[in-house]
Amino acid sequence: MSWIGKIRRVGRIVEAADEAPEATAAPPTGVTGSLQLRHVDCGSCNGCELEISGAFSSVYDAERFGARVVASPRHADGLIATGVVTRNMHQPLLNTLKAVPEPRVVIAVGDCAINGGAFAQGYGVVGSVADVIPVDVQVPGCPPTPQQIIAALRTVTGR
Amino acid sequence: MLSGGLTAALGMAGVALGLSAIFGETRHLKISWLLPLVGVIFDLGQVGGFFVAATGAVSIAVGIYAVGYAQREHWARFPLVMLPLFVAAMLLVPAAGSVTTFLLAWELMAGASLVLVLSEHQREAVRSAGVFYAVMTQLGFAAILVALVVLSAAGGGDAFATIAAHAGGLSPGTRTAVFLLTLMGFGSKAGLLPLHAWLPRAHPEAPSPVSALMSAAMVNMGIYGIIRIDLQLLGPGPHWWGLTLMIFGAVSAVFGVLQASVATDLKRLLAYSTTENMGLITLALGAATLLSSYGAHQVAAMAMTAALLLILSHAAFKTLAFLAAGSVLAATGLRDLDKLGGLARRMPGTTVMFGIAALGASGLPLGAGFVGEWLLLQSLIHSPHENNTLLALTMPLSVGAVALTTGLGIAAMVKAFGVGFLARPRSAAAAAAREAPASMMAGMGIAAAACAVFAVAPVLLGPVLSHVLTALPSVGGREAGPALGTYLRLPGIAGSMSPGLIAAALVVAVILALGLARWGARHRPVAATVPLWACGADSLSSKMQYTATSFAEPLQRVFDNVLKPETDVEVTHFAESQYLVERVTYRTLLADPVEQRLYTPVVRAVTIWAQWVRRAHPGSVHLYLTYGALGLLIVLVIAR
Repeated sequence: MSWIGKIRRVGRIVEAADEAPEATAAPPTGVTGSLQLRHVDCGSCNGCELEISGAFSSVYDAERFGARVVASPRHADGLIATGVVTRNMHQPLLNTLKAVPEPRVVIAVGDCAINGGAFAQGYGVVGSVADVIPVDVQVPGCPPTPQQIIAALRTVTGR
Repeated sequence: MLSGGLTAALGMAGVALGLSAIFGETRHLKISWLLPLVGVIFDLGQVGGFFVAATGAVSIAVGIYAVGYAQREHWARFPLVMLPLFVAAMLLVPAAGSVTTFLLAWELMAGASLVLVLSEHQREAVRSAGVFYAVMTQLGFAAILVALVVLSAAGGGDAFATIAAHAGGLSPGTRTAVFLLTLMGFGSKAGLLPLHAWLPRAHPEAPSPVSALMSAAMVNMGIYGIIRIDLQLLGPGPHWWGLTLMIFGAVSAVFGVLQASVATDLKRLLAYSTTENMGLITLALGAATLLSSYGAHQVAAMAMTAALLLILSHAAFKTLAFLAAGSVLAATGLRDLDKLGGLARRMPGTTVMFGIAALGASGLPLGAGFVGEWLLLQSLIHSPHENNTLLALTMPLSVGAVALTTGLGIAAMVKAFGVGFLARPRSAAAAAAREAPASMMAGMGIAAAACAVFAVAPVLLGPVLSHVLTALPSVGGREAGPALGTYLRLPGIAGSMSPGLIAAALVVAVILALGLARWGARHRPVAATVPLWACGADSLSSKMQYTATSFAEPLQRVFDNVLKPETDVEVTHFAESQYLVERVTYRTLLADPVEQRLYTPVVRAVTIWAQWVRRAHPGSVHLYLTYGALGLLIVLVIAR
C-alpha cells in the first residue's frame, strides 16, 4: 500500500485562496458552503458563459469554494442569470425561478444582466434581469473575469 | 349472466374433480353408446387431474369476469353459448382415457375456440386470424391424429391404459415417429417455435375472456399432451428426447420474449409472453427428461416440479393479465400501448390487477412466476455434469437462455405496465376511460389471489405437486421433489428460500421506511405546490412521454439481426431551403421474422399447388360423376 503512504507524505497541494470577501447576500438557509446553482442564459452574447465556464474550470475551480452548477432548478439553491432578458426568454426565466425551491439567491452576471449593457432598449429586449426578477448579487463587467465571478460567488457561499 | 355462471360452475366442478383425482383414486368412466365401435372412455389420473384443476380454476375467474364483460361489450348469443362449451371441452381433454376420446375432446376444444375467436367476425383482422388459427390447429390435429393412430395400432388397443401396458414392447422407430409427430401437434397448440404464429394473431383478436381461456388454459393442453403421451405413456425416452424438448423450449422462450419486448399491441405482447412461458415450461420438461435419462432423479424431480409450478403460475398471471387487458379494451377500445397511458388515475383497480400480473410475468420475487423460475434455475445449475459432455454443455447454455428470457421479460412487462397505465393519457379514448364493473373486478380478484398464493405461499401447493410427481416416474417421479414449506428446501443441495419471509421482510421494511420518513418530516414546513418543471417551457404534453416503441427501440437495435425491423425515415424539406425541415415521418414495421421466412414460402407453394389442382375442378357435373365412379372402382378393386 505504498500509494497511501505517498498520499500521506505529499499531503494537500493547493494554491492558497485569497482572503474570503465580505458577505453581500445571506446564503439560503442550510446551504452554507455548498451552493447549487442553475444557469439561465436570458439572451447573452455568450461572453459571460465563456467566463462562467472558465470560473468552474480546473484552472479557477469555483467548486472548491462550495459553488456548483447543476442541471435542474429543482436541485438548485439559486440562479445565475446572464444577458439582457429577451422577449422569448422572459417567461422561461420566470418559470425557472418558480421552479427553484425557496429560499433562493439570484446572481446576475455581466453588465447586460445588470443594466442591459450594449443591448439596452433593443426591440426584442424586455429589460435587465433586475427589471424582471429580484436580484441579490450583481457581478459587473463585460464580461466579468473568472476571478470576479468567483469573488462574487464567495460572498454568498461564505468560504 | 347464465353463460358466465355456467362457465364458473363448470370451473368449480373441474377444480373439485381435479383435486379429488390428484389425491384420490383414478376415476374411470366408460360410456359405450356414445361413440360407435369403441365408446367413450374417461380416465382421470393425477396428471389429468392437475390439468383439469388448473383449467377449472382459470374458468372460475373467467366465468365471473365474463358476466360483466358480456354486458358491457354486448355479446351476441352465440359466443355466450360457446363459452361454457369451450370450457367443458377443455375439461374433457385431460380426462380422456382413450385415443378416440382424446381426439374427440381435442377437436371439440379446437372447434369451440375457433368459433369464439371469430366472435367479432365483422372485422377483417379477426377473419384473417381465424383462418390462420383454423389451418394451424387442424394441421396440428392431423399430426396428433396420425401419431395416436400409430400408437394405438402398435400399442394393441385404444385405451391409454392398454397402451401404457404395451409401451415397453414398442419398436424404437414407432416411438420416435410418435414422439416427433406429437411434439409437432402439441407444440403447435402450446405455441412453441416455429408453430407459434397463430398465437399472436388469434389471441389479440379474440374477446378478452376467450383470450384468457386460450392463453392460460388451452395452451396448457399442448403441454399436457407432451407430458401424458410422450413422457408418461412412452417414457422413459432416449437422451435426445429431452435435448429436443430443451432446444425447442429455449428457442421459443427467447424468441417469444424478444417479440414481446418490442410489441406495441398489449394483447399481442401478452400472446408472445405465452410463447415465452410455454418455452420455459418445455425447457423444464426437457431438463427433467434429460436429467432423468442420465439417472439424476433428484434434480429431475426439481425440474419437473418447476415445470408444474410454472404451468400453474402462468395460468394465474396470464388469466389476470388478459382479463385486465380486456377491461382496458372495454373501457377505451384500445390495445395499442402507444395510444394508452394515464389509466392508473382512471382505472386504479384494473391497474393494480395488471401490476400484479406483470410482476408475476416478470419472474421477480413476490411475483407469481418467481418460485417456478427459481426452481428451474436451481435444477439447471445443480445438474450433476461430471464426466458428461452433453449435460456440461446444455445446462449452462439453458441457464443463459432462462436468464436472458427473464431479463427481457422484465423489460416487456415494465413497458406494458409503465407505458400502458402510468403517466398521461396519449389519446382522448384513454383519457375518457372508466373503471370496470364489479363482476369483472371480482373475476380479476380471484386470479390476483391465486397469483398472491403462488408468490408468497407455494407451501399450499406442496401436496398437490408431490402427488402429481409420483405419477411421472420417467421424469423425476422416483425421488421426492423439493419441499415447498415455509422455507423452500432443495433435497441434496444446500439451497433454500422463503418467499413468505421475503414478503414479510418487504412489508416490514416499507412500514419502517414510511414511519421514519414521517418522523423525519414532522418539523418541515408545509410543502408547496408548484407547476411541473418543463425545462422552462410552459407545459408538458403527452407527446413528450416515452412510448412503447421508443422504450423498445434500444432492444430493437441490439437484436436487429433477429428481429429484422423495417424502419423508414422520411424527411420533407421546405421548398425554400434544404436546411429547414418541414416534416419528419418515422415508420417502423416489426413483422415476425420466423413467420416471414418459414410460412410465406410454404403458403406460396401450397397456393401454386392448389392452382394446379383446380384445373381438375372445371365445374362440370359429368366430370365429377366420373371422378366418383373411378374412386368407387379403385376402392372396390383394392378391397376385393
